[in-house]
Amino acid sequence: MATLNEKKTCSERMADFRRFVWNPETKLFMGRSLINWVWISLYYLAFYVVMSGLFALSIYCLMRTINPYEPDYQDQLKSPGVTLRPDVYGDRGLRIYYNVSDNKTWEGLVTTLHTFLAAYTPAAQHLNINCTNNTYFIQDTFDGPNNTKLSCKFTSDMLQNCSGITDPTFGYPEGKPCFIIKMNRIIKFYPGNGTAPRVNCTYVGEEGSRPLDADYYPGNGTFSLHYFPYYGKKAQPSYSNPLVAVKFLNITRNVEFKIVCKVIGAGITFNVHDPYEGKVEFKLKIED
Amino acid sequence: MFPDPGSLGNKNSSSLMLCSLLSTSELEMKYGTSIDKGLSSARAAEILARDGPNALTPPKATPEIVKFLKQMIGGFSILLWIGAGFSWISFGIQLAQGVDSAFDNVSGWAPTPPALGAFNTPQLLSNYKEASRSHQALPPPNTSDKSSNIATPPVDNSSLTGESEPQSRSCDFTHENPLETRNIAFYSTTCVEGTATGIVINTGDRTIIGRIASLASGVGNEKTPIAIEIEHFVYLVAGVAISIGVLFFIISVSMRYKILDSIIFLIGIIVANVPEGLLATVTVSLSLTAKRMAKKNCLVKNLEAVETLGSTSIICSDKTGTLTQNRMTVAHLWFDNQIYSADTSEDQTTQPFDQSSPTWTALSKIVTLCNRAEFRPGQENLPIMKRVVVGDASETALLKFSEVILGDVMSIRAQNRKVAEIPFNSTNKFQLSIHETDDPQDKRFLLVMKGAPERILERCSTIMINGKEEPLDSEKAEAFQTAYMELGGMGERVLGFCHLYLPENEFPETFQFDTDSMNFPTSNLCFVGLLSMIDPPRSTVPDAVSKCRSAGIKVIMVTGDHPITAKAIAKSVGIISATSETVEDIAKRLNIPVEQVNRREATAAVVNGMELKDMSSEQLDEILRNHTEIVFARTSPQQKLIIVEGCQRQGAVVAVTGDGVNDSPALKKADIGIAMGIAGSDAAKNAADMVLLDDNFASIVTGVEEGRLIFDNLKKTIAYTLTKNIAELCPFLIYIIASIPMPIGTITILFIDLGTDIIPSVALAYEKAESDIMNRRPRNKRRDRLVNQQLAVYSYLQIGIMQSVGAFVTYFTVYAEQGFLPSTLLGVRVNWENNAINDFEDSYGQQWTHYQRMYLQWTGYTAFFVSITIQQVADLIIRKTRRNSIFRQGLFRNKVIWVGIFSQIGIALILTYGLGHVTALNFTPLRFQYWFVAVPFAILIWVYDEIRKLLIRRHPGSECTPLILIKYFHFMSLFPPFHSHPRLSCHSQYI
Repeated sequence: MATLNEKKTCSERMADFRRFVWNPETKLFMGRSLINWVWISLYYLAFYVVMSGLFALSIYCLMRTINPYEPDYQDQLKSPGVTLRPDVYGDRGLRIYYNVSDNKTWEGLVTTLHTFLAAYTPAAQHLNINCTNNTYFIQDTFDGPNNTKLSCKFTSDMLQNCSGITDPTFGYPEGKPCFIIKMNRIIKFYPGNGTAPRVNCTYVGEEGSRPLDADYYPGNGTFSLHYFPYYGKKAQPSYSNPLVAVKFLNITRNVEFKIVCKVIGAGITFNVHDPYEGKVEFKLKIED
Repeated sequence: MFPDPGSLGNKNSSSLMLCSLLSTSELEMKYGTSIDKGLSSARAAEILARDGPNALTPPKATPEIVKFLKQMIGGFSILLWIGAGFSWISFGIQLAQGVDSAFDNVSGWAPTPPALGAFNTPQLLSNYKEASRSHQALPPPNTSDKSSNIATPPVDNSSLTGESEPQSRSCDFTHENPLETRNIAFYSTTCVEGTATGIVINTGDRTIIGRIASLASGVGNEKTPIAIEIEHFVYLVAGVAISIGVLFFIISVSMRYKILDSIIFLIGIIVANVPEGLLATVTVSLSLTAKRMAKKNCLVKNLEAVETLGSTSIICSDKTGTLTQNRMTVAHLWFDNQIYSADTSEDQTTQPFDQSSPTWTALSKIVTLCNRAEFRPGQENLPIMKRVVVGDASETALLKFSEVILGDVMSIRAQNRKVAEIPFNSTNKFQLSIHETDDPQDKRFLLVMKGAPERILERCSTIMINGKEEPLDSEKAEAFQTAYMELGGMGERVLGFCHLYLPENEFPETFQFDTDSMNFPTSNLCFVGLLSMIDPPRSTVPDAVSKCRSAGIKVIMVTGDHPITAKAIAKSVGIISATSETVEDIAKRLNIPVEQVNRREATAAVVNGMELKDMSSEQLDEILRNHTEIVFARTSPQQKLIIVEGCQRQGAVVAVTGDGVNDSPALKKADIGIAMGIAGSDAAKNAADMVLLDDNFASIVTGVEEGRLIFDNLKKTIAYTLTKNIAELCPFLIYIIASIPMPIGTITILFIDLGTDIIPSVALAYEKAESDIMNRRPRNKRRDRLVNQQLAVYSYLQIGIMQSVGAFVTYFTVYAEQGFLPSTLLGVRVNWENNAINDFEDSYGQQWTHYQRMYLQWTGYTAFFVSITIQQVADLIIRKTRRNSIFRQGLFRNKVIWVGIFSQIGIALILTYGLGHVTALNFTPLRFQYWFVAVPFAILIWVYDEIRKLLIRRHPGSECTPLILIKYFHFMSLFPPFHSHPRLSCHSQYI
């Protein structure tokens, strides 16, 4: 014990350490001869190369088993998420506050909408076909160009008053703002079981019983069935989600409202943990 | 730090020596007492108030709360506390940043209470309390008064000095040292014969024994070897954690992460590196071993002592009771000019020597009759050797000896009625009794006598040879001398026996014998024979000593006994082997003076306590270094401490046995103090780390074996635990570098560390010894570490990496099959974790809300968790052995391992499918096939390790795996041949 407990001074420790790093007598670098270090490094190099190879091989095998058109499982995508534009997030979820008399507070929101709708100009949609029959657009074969499937056209003018064409400010200065509701894409998902799913917005909380005065575009606020099912990015490269716009007509000023827009239709379920599955909740406050 | 015990006597001398020099009347003056009347009760009460009761102050007990806090924050736990602290800091940082998920991380990184609770080392033994003395209130000084008929009443000083022989006491001042002088008797010693009157000169802690007891509490506790190892391990883990943490802090800063994020990464990495479950595992493993040892009669008081015993390199053992049976037994007989050997084993039922001679008949009669010892009644069913006897040690030996050979001794004595008796006393050194004979025709009286052989011979004029009395001429006397010397030379206590049939005409039936006037002859008797007795070694001891020898443990005998006896016992148990010689032996063989002998030639040494007293510590060191077989005889227990310190100066881990109060300093000083459970005093048990329940030396050796096994097994446990640390750390590193979704959550990590891994790592403590662990040298404290570089590097950089790769493959499989191909995952971290993105696109164009992504992330955690668990099964199997093939060790020999494996998988199943719907735990019900993705990697780990073990066996010399492998695959055509390099070995020890 006594020998073990010998206290060394700092300089002795340093000297010991320097000696450990390079011992000139035995020519050992950190307790090993240099050639020894070379061998060990070589071994580890080889070891890691082999391990990387095994990893690469595993990933290669994995990729070989993967279907390029659709994923093997959709365990987490039982029901589509729903998103809102413009999307400004506060501490707890979506929160859209603006002042009708202050341009700066709503110009950003309007820009968001314009940017979002840029993907829905006729030019952007020129690859897609016009669909009118309100039934599922089932394609078992690849009828599109380059071995793809066809997608239906959705252009912003279908949103009428909320298209940004007739009213580039989307009603924001008047206090009758437009919001665009979008349902997330899920491959081979058939919403509504033959009936087109529609959007329905209501107040939540204390205002729950009050009717919400709103216009929905396209008519009735439905997602037309011919946009479904979605066949995936590879099969439908030009696919774009159908949209529903909602214009709130009579929002009391200077009061924060909690509003939920649900997509109603068979197969679209809600999840207590997920505020954006099958519905979208947001807070709205219009000041003047 | 520790006063030289030799000076112990001198320290007392101020008062004690003075007192020993004073005459009775001066003493009476000094203490204001009277030898006849004692103290007045008023004075007694006054002194009692001044000095307190006559009791030893019990050792200062540590308050329970201090003990508790020590366990809470001592050693390894501090790492966890720091981790907890860091978690709160990072929580604070995140909270200040307004991150919602801050709460997740706190619950993840903070160590959970059960882990800490398990570290509280259970005290296996309740504290031994100093037995309270019935005469605690005895006020000093007082006198006890009894009538005395013996001039020099002997006292048993064994508890103080270890001397087994009672020491006589008289009124004369004989020595300057109060321990040696005859006119002082000590506290806690007993007067074995006669009565004595004295004046109390000191009480309580001021007595000699009080001073020894306070010395013991003054000896500081040294750190146990395992504590040092754990500390080393903590440094290592902390070093790895901090260096990786800092490295990745720099990386993340240079990757333009926010500084605050980087700090959180740093803390996260440090915390992820802490093996939370390990200390619990170590404690449980040690407890299990302690329990196992308790079954083998080693009661462990301090858990860490379990391992200390395993690293023991020197055992300083007592002789009496530990190496020997602690009972005198007849070993040899001499009659008819011939020496016979008797059976000395523990359970003798017959004696094999020739009993046909009429001399033996006469001798047996003397042995039977001239004996005052008796069996306690009511033990007829017990074996003779186990019966309790009233009488001293040698009489007991003789009684049992004759009972074994002749049968019912008491009835023989009844047939030969005793008419007169002179008991043994130290002045005349013989014992005599006169009996009627059992032959009703023979009206003579038989006088039988036993005693010190030379005294007996003096009183004899004839000697019995083959039943006939022959004159005792010089030739026969010579034969007697030779036999006596031979028996004495064997360290045995020799007694002579003689008898005389008193002539009927002089001593008629009605004769009144008077033992005071001795109106009967006590000379010109007929010498019959000699019996010699010894305290024989325990039958298991020679085997145990040879085991120690092959295990590289030096056994040193330290005894208060006579050197000749000590040497004889040492030889018979193998402490001094048959071939080795002491300096004196060589001198005798070569017939040269002792001084001329080359001391290096002698492997054995018998050192007398008297010589030891005059030795400098350098001389002692030289003896300890140069001789492999050492016996210290006639040592005072104080010298035991010197011997222990000497051994420790050699860098040895010293185990010391002891029983007396005075052994307690040595027991405390030793790396592991072993107290005797039967013979030991409470003070000794208090000072010791371990208690031998059966006082048997062989139990120490089994203890050593267990201690070594647990060290090996702890190594395996740590290797097992460290491995998955990398698999838990890698995800974090990759997450930072490649910005992929977090592969494993902190809660999940805790479920591995404190859930699935606990039982398997404890199961490794049940692993049987791989090879004969008692055939290798004790581990070198400085070289053979619990966690050496080799073990850490192999676990971290090889197996750990394999595990990580396996787990990552599962991770990517899960994500790919759910829609996120590996290429999509790279660099998505920021968007992936963004709450505000609820239409995150996967590789197939599907869109995910934040919660859906998080749920997938938890599925990823679960998959990663399951993969680590599956691969830990392989890790567990490879850790079963360190160099033997699994096939040789047997997969099924340790059933507990299977309990471990099943529990591991069972817990994983419960977590995944049972608790998979509890979102707070971040487990999800995993698709069944993902359990098997990592299986090929588990098999790879096994095969890889089997190859490593094979190579290590093929190339002993314990080189590190990479070197052997390279050597094995011979890059000889490209590079210079390997064999030319003399130093290739990485470390002296394989993992």
